[in-house]
Amino acid sequence: MSQSLSEECTPLKKEYDSCFNSWFEGYLEPAVEAGRAGQRTREANAQKKAEEFEAKCGKIWRQYKSCVTKALKDKGLDTLLEQARQENPLVDPIPPPTSSNSNN
Amino acid sequence: MRFFSQSYTYDDSWAIVTLAFFLRYPNPYAAHVISCDVISREQTPSGSLVTTRLILKKGSMPRWFPRGIVSRAESWVIEESEVDPFGKIVRCVTKNLDHVKVMQVEESVQFAQIAEGKTLQHTEARVVSKFGWGLTKKIENHGLSRFKMNMQRSREGVSLILNLLRQSRLQPM
Repeated sequence: MSQSLSEECTPLKKEYDSCFNSWFEGYLEPAVEAGRAGQRTREANAQKKAEEFEAKCGKIWRQYKSCVTKALKDKGLDTLLEQARQENPLVDPIPPPTSSNSNN
Repeated sequence: MRFFSQSYTYDDSWAIVTLAFFLRYPNPYAAHVISCDVISREQTPSGSLVTTRLILKKGSMPRWFPRGIVSRAESWVIEESEVDPFGKIVRCVTKNLDHVKVMQVEESVQFAQIAEGKTLQHTEARVVSKFGWGLTKKIENHGLSRFKMNMQRSREGVSLILNLLRQSRLQPM
């Protein structure tokens, strides 16, 4: 796992990363039924994963985040980020590839 | 503006390719990555995961580039991604935050599940320079050819991580 932008946050980042990664692996493969059933199952599943994350990684995430937020301010990077955020690249996503694209 | 797009198919499932993509730093093909931080990350009510990462990359200026304009050859890069595990799709947009007048490279990558459990990666890049002095075109062309080279390396990095993931999954716990 790579370094944090601030040396002081690196231990927190590593702990957070490894917690997140093991949660993420399960998150990427939701229960099979969820794919076929309707929106309700999807939302219930999402809710469950969010609770799981909170229980396992919530605390270390908040510690790491507050460390990085402070480091960004100290380095004056917060304004640079603010500007980039306003342009919001994900609002206008790239269209899906034209080739056959089966999700089900 | 210079535009480039390319598609590539992985034989692996969407979940494992996506995992490898998010785990790709550090790897020996990405020695230019100095730091990588998650700035914000949240799950939407419908279950997608939206993440912003801030990455510091080492760069180098071409030999023909005028001295003294870019004081340090490092660049902050912002990466915004959205992962939808139900629709099995990842969208990710990356761009540099500094030196943008000299050159801005915006890269969009998408990973989608396709037939037979394979994964399609679609990449688009836009290279824009506002430098002027008769160098705009040269800078954009340089940026584009470097992007193509880096793309090859970045794919090798993802493949390396993919191999490690496959091996670790084959081992009994």
